[in-house]
This record gives sequence, C-alpha cells and structure tokens, in this order.
Amino acid sequence: MPRRQRPALSLSHIDKAFGDKKVLDGAHFTVRWGEVHALLGENGAGKSTIMNVATGVYAADAGTIEVDEQEFPLRGPADAARAGIGMVHQHYRLVGSFTVAENMLLAAGKQVPGITGLRSAAAAIEAKGREVGLAVDATARIDTLSVAERQRVEILKVLILGARIVILDEPTAVLTDAESRAMLEFVRRLAAAGTAVVLITHKLREVLEHADRVTVMRQGKTVLADATTTGLDTSELARLMVGERTPPPPRAAIAPGPIRLKLDGFSVRRPDGTPGVEGIDIELRAGEILGIAGVGGNGQQPLADGLIGLAATAAGRLLIDGIDLGQAPVAARRRAGLRIIPSDRFASGLVGDLTIAENLCLTALDSPALNRGFLLRPGVMRQRAAAAIERFAIAGAAPGRISRLLSGGNAQKLILAREIDDHLSVLVAHSPTRGLDVKACDFVHDTIRASAARGAGCLLISEDLEEILTLSTRIAVICAGRITGELSMQEANAERIGMLMMGHV
Amino acid sequence: MFDRITLVRRQDVPWTARTATFLGGLGFGLALSCVLLVAAGVPAESLIDELVVQVFLSSDGLAQTVTAAAPLILVGLCSALATRVRFWNIGIEGQLWLGAIAAAAVGILDIGPEAIRVWLMMLAALAAGALWIVPPLVLKTRFGVSETVLTLLLSNVGFLCVQHLLFGAWKDPNNGFPVSPQMGPAEQLARFGWGNVGMGTALAVAIALLAYVFIDRSRIGLQARAIGLNPTTARAAGLPVTATITLMVLLSGALAGLAGGVIVAGTEFRLTQYLGNNYTFSGITIGFLARTHPLGVIVAAFGVGGMFTAGSSLKVFYGLSDAVVVLIQGIVLISLLSAQFFSTYRLSVARRGVA
Repeated sequence: MPRRQRPALSLSHIDKAFGDKKVLDGAHFTVRWGEVHALLGENGAGKSTIMNVATGVYAADAGTIEVDEQEFPLRGPADAARAGIGMVHQHYRLVGSFTVAENMLLAAGKQVPGITGLRSAAAAIEAKGREVGLAVDATARIDTLSVAERQRVEILKVLILGARIVILDEPTAVLTDAESRAMLEFVRRLAAAGTAVVLITHKLREVLEHADRVTVMRQGKTVLADATTTGLDTSELARLMVGERTPPPPRAAIAPGPIRLKLDGFSVRRPDGTPGVEGIDIELRAGEILGIAGVGGNGQQPLADGLIGLAATAAGRLLIDGIDLGQAPVAARRRAGLRIIPSDRFASGLVGDLTIAENLCLTALDSPALNRGFLLRPGVMRQRAAAAIERFAIAGAAPGRISRLLSGGNAQKLILAREIDDHLSVLVAHSPTRGLDVKACDFVHDTIRASAARGAGCLLISEDLEEILTLSTRIAVICAGRITGELSMQEANAERIGMLMMGHV
Repeated sequence: MFDRITLVRRQDVPWTARTATFLGGLGFGLALSCVLLVAAGVPAESLIDELVVQVFLSSDGLAQTVTAAAPLILVGLCSALATRVRFWNIGIEGQLWLGAIAAAAVGILDIGPEAIRVWLMMLAALAAGALWIVPPLVLKTRFGVSETVLTLLLSNVGFLCVQHLLFGAWKDPNNGFPVSPQMGPAEQLARFGWGNVGMGTALAVAIALLAYVFIDRSRIGLQARAIGLNPTTARAAGLPVTATITLMVLLSGALAGLAGGVIVAGTEFRLTQYLGNNYTFSGITIGFLARTHPLGVIVAAFGVGGMFTAGSSLKVFYGLSDAVVVLIQGIVLISLLSAQFFSTYRLSVARRGVA
C-alpha cells in the first residue's frame, strides 16, 4: 500500500467524561497521509473534544491512540507536538500586542532548529508563507491584522513547529465567503503535499466539495466512520449529523403592526471608547423578526449592549413604542417592554449561584405581587418558578435549585421564561442558539416566532446565517458597525448577504 | 501505571464534603497553632486548659469570650455586607475609630438627656462609621477608584484623629496615660451581671439576626446578592446597582462604627489608643470563615473571641505577645483556605488507556 493511503493518526474506542457528563463514548477517528478528512457534527457532538484528546490537551479515560500505525502514549501537548500533531484552534493563541515574528519566537522557544531570534523567526514565517502560499507580514502587530490574517499566522506557526498532521477547528467559521474559498483551496494544497489534514466543521457543502473522506459524530459517538465523500449528498450527511429532526413549522404570514422599535442615527461606543456601532437606522414593527446578519465582531455586541442599556447611547435616538429611551437606564427600558436574550447566558443573563426562582424574579423585583413590605414573598417566587419550569419544560430544574447546574439549553429556557412575559414589546435575541443542541435550538426558534406572532417586534442578532435565513421576516446586514443593507426575504440569498457582510454595498 | 495527575474542578460540592473539609482545615490549623504555642514555651499539658477550658468552659472565661464577641460580630458583619457587593472594605478600623470618637464625644460633651444618652452614643457611632466610608464609596462608584487603598489609608487617618484628641483636648487630667475621661454610668451599656456581658452582646446578636433576614429575605438583600455574584447580569436585569452598593457599603461602615461605640460604652468605658487594634484583620477573617453568612458570623466571632481570651491569658502567664492571637488567626485561616481548595478541586489520575 502506498504511503498516501496509510493511516497517519488513528483514535479508537475513546471515552471521555467531564464530571458525570460523558462527552465521548467509544469514539473512533482515522485520518490518512495526504487526505483532507472532514470531522462533522453539531455543537456538542464531541468533535473538539476528540481532537483535544488527539493533541494531548485532554487525557482520554479509555481508548488507544496510534500515530503512523504505532501505539503512541500521549501524556500531554508536548508529546503530541513531538508526534507532529498540530491544531489551529478556533480562538487563536496569539499575543495581540506582539508582532507576528515575536509570536512565532514565543511558540518556537528553543524547539525549532534554525529559529534563534526575532530575525530568524521572521525569516522562517516568510519562507514558510511563500512555500505554502499564505503571505503574511512578519513585522505586523497581531492586533492590527484581520481575522483571516491571524488565522494564516496561526497555521504557519503550527507548520513551522513541525506539524505533519494538521487539525483545523472550524477554520471558515469566522471568514467571509471569499476568504473561506481561499482557505479551503489552501487546505487542498496542503494535503496534496502529503500532510494529513483534519477539517472540523459543521458546514455540509465544505465537506462534499473539499474533503476526501468524512467522519460524522453525534452525541459523543462516531455515527459514520471514515467514508469517502463521493456518492454522499448533503441531505444524507445532515440526517446523520442531527439524527431525526422535525422540520420548522411553516411561517404564518403576519401583517406587520405598529412600529415597536425605532433606531435613528443610533451610535454606541465600545468599553475602550472606540466606535461600536454608528448611525444605525432601523424600524421594527410588531410581528416582524428582523435578522441582523454579519461576521462576528462587526458591532453585534455594542448593538445589543446599547439596546438594553449596558452601554450608553453616544448619539441618536432609541424609541420603544414611540417613547425616546436612548438615555434611559436599563430598568426604564425594561418597563417599556424591552427584553433581551444575551449571547452569553451565564455572563449577562443569569446569576449562576442564585436559585432558579431568584433568577426568574430578578427583572420583576419591584412588582407588588412579590413584595410584602420590606420582605420578598418566597412562596410566590417558588410558585412562579414552578409554573415557568412546567411551561417551558426546563429539565433538571426545581425552584430552589442553583441555576449554574442547568445545561446550556435549559439555562436558555430559563432566560426565555423570564424575558418572554406579558409586557414584552421588543425582544432582542443575540445569538440565541449558540452552543445549543438541535432540540433546544428548535425550541428557542419556536418561542421567538411565537413572540412575534403575539405582537412583539424581534431583533435577531446572529452570526449564524442559516439561523437568520430560517427565522427572519426581513434582514439587515451589519459590517464595521454600520448597516450596509436591508433585504426582504425575496431578495435575500447567501451571495448578496455575503457581499454586504464584507461591506460591498 | 499513571499517565498524569490533574486537578479537576468539582461540578457540585455536597454539603457533607464542605463540612468535612471545613472541620479538617480547622482541626489542622488548631493543631499547628498548638505546636507553635508549645515551641513558644507553653507546656503541652496545659494547652487544653488554656485554649478550651479557660476560654469556653469556665464562667469567667466564657463571659470574657462572649463580651469580646460583641464587637467582633459587628466587624464580621461589616466585612460580610461589603463583600456581598464586592466592595473590599479593608479599613474597618478607620470606621471603628470614628465610631468610637463619636460615641465618646456624646459621652464627654454630655449631649442629650441621660436616659437615652447611651443610645445616642450608639447612633452617633453608626453615623460616624457610615460617614467615614463615604469618600472611598463615592470615589469608587463615581470614578472607579480602587476602594482597597482608600479604606486602608483612611484607617490611619482615623487613628491619628484619636491620637490628636487623646494627646490634646480629651486627655484625662487625672491619668498619666493618653486616655479620655471615664464614661459616667449613664454613658455605659447595661450589663447583665455576668462579667462585662451586656447590651453590647445582645445588640450585636440582634443585628446579626436582622442582617440574616435582610440578606436572605428582603428585596434589597437579593439585589445585593445578585450584584455581588454577577454584576453584569444584575445591570442587564435592570437592578439599581449603584444604589444597592451604596446602601450595603454605608451599612458596612455604620456597623464598624457601632463596634467602636460598643467597645467605648460596653467594655473600655473610655476612648483609648488601643481599643481598635486588630479589628480589620479579625473582621475580614470572621467574614470569610462565615462565608459572609450573618448567622455564621455569630459563630465565627465567638471562636475568634475565644482566641482573644486565650491570647490575653497567654500574654499574662507566658509572656507571649499580642501577635500570637493574630498568628493563630492567620494559621487557621490559611489552613481553611487550603482545605477549601481540595473541596473545590478533585485530584484526577488518568491511566494509560487500553481498550
């Protein structure tokens, strides 16, 4: 058998648990020399975990790891690096205030022959860049580089450190369409040169177009092992990936009602004082779900913070049902019916160490029903919590239980139960399904649709284009803190949105 | 064959494990303290007598411990309330000194009718303590200035105010030492006829119970807990963050001030330049040991009060310095912290995998 066909890295019967939660359950994975092998699965399927086992970040509870058909005991990341296994993480491990060359030197230490100082580090980066066709300026500071450029630095770093088995964790997740195409072409070239490439992704099209083989994981198990991509189609892969899935209910046509939210030249600064969003003009009517599409980091967080009132309005107006609340505190905006599903549930949605009942009442503490003079009424709080737990089917919950112990999906349901109330007028949903499994995801989407149907205006800020397309009734695209275009659902297609995302109006 | 040993954070620590580690840490700290005391010249056979019998089991010793516990409960609550909203009040002594000055002023200047004079002293102490924490509070909430340095340095300012008075206007003409004149009978907290145990202790325990209801059952208490545990969520939920922090911190300062008043009117009966020593560290220790729980503060203050009693007798009989009490507190605190580490994390040994 030619070397090309032989396994480079093989993991079998891998078990891994965090606490009581079994994340990997007898999982398998094999990648051969010279191939692009896609590892496909939903969020939480165990893709990242099995690759962290392969790179020595996590120790497997059981199972064997073979490199080049030899059993290879992995005691830590250093062993993996010696075996030539390198990973490009989703969150780049680069020091922002250092230059590219300095980061290279930092990673190389004394491990890489030929790299002895800044000059040789810079030379190595530029030489490797020319060799594989990824140009970067070695003297540039990391925080002046775009996301795509940082990714190139990270890849070159891993290659210079001697990786022959390269794992890329969702490399296209943060890239524009054009950048993604260039990245995937690079991946093909890398494999053609004999490197074993693992492509972790959840994008089906990428798998079919650019990978030689595919492994699909679901709930910690390998459900499709080592299949060639020829003859597979997206619907087959999707079915394997998600298991059985109910289609979303057909969208009822709702005639838009009165204006719920109006932004007029709305501008917000980031905490460091730099512009976050500038001159946003939006009209959101009752019954609408306005999707705000965009590549992450283009002003989504400042927009969400500015809407709820965590960040001050720098300029412009914010009207809820006709009342200007641009300078009003959070409490006043909430009284006017503004509600938010934050992108990070335990950072700004829930207090993890308070009970479920306490978290549910957090936004309504001044309601007379909850107070008796100086004291709260724990009985009423418990009743409300019990009712919410039942209505939203929050699993593993009891009113007196600490909310930190809830899983992601159930924590999100808890936030929904609190935010979706009778006074809801404008719902800001920021990446509402991030990190959720399919069922929880559907539940969140159904809840948002139902809120719109009952007359709320919903603003869906999401970096997941698929989510925007399935849920929205209208789409606006944000780029560099400005709205670059608004599209009706008839006008919306991936290409048009992609152009707007990159700022081409 | 072990591959490697790692620390894994426990998802949920059962109360049994927490209690066991707490007791283990306490036991280890006390044992280590005993070793040090023996090394310092205390005979091993009299340790139990000095540390337990004389402190908690003899009537005189217990009375002294209970008396000492009164201001300790108040400074413990002071630390606990501020910590709840993440305000690091490490200037407890400053607020306590000002409370002591204010209480003494009411007594020395004969303000108000005698029937309620002692309660006026307590009110003055509360107000002065709260006032002394206003500058760091305003600077923190308005301009984000770190409260740690400010509260700490204001302690020294408070102490210098005391010295200024004791070496000047308020120096007792009948006494060679820099102390104020003695408080009259109307300016002393009522005693129950058991050592110095009196209204001071009752007041402190009552306030601790009130604080428990306040933190656990009131709306402001829940707001304070939410703010302390996750300020961003508290803000996003529309809670009045600054107002709640302001109230909690003022209460914290007021309670430290009251501790000063209770010492002046309950045990010392005059203003001296030693009455506030070590209360910052003790307050923080008690607040921590109680995990900022007001009822836990009563228990922890009682324990630290015992150390004060033991310390004073060790000082007299074995010539050990005041520092011994601080040393024992420190050892116990570090032991408990170390023990807590092991109840929070689990040692995990990964074995080389063979399927």
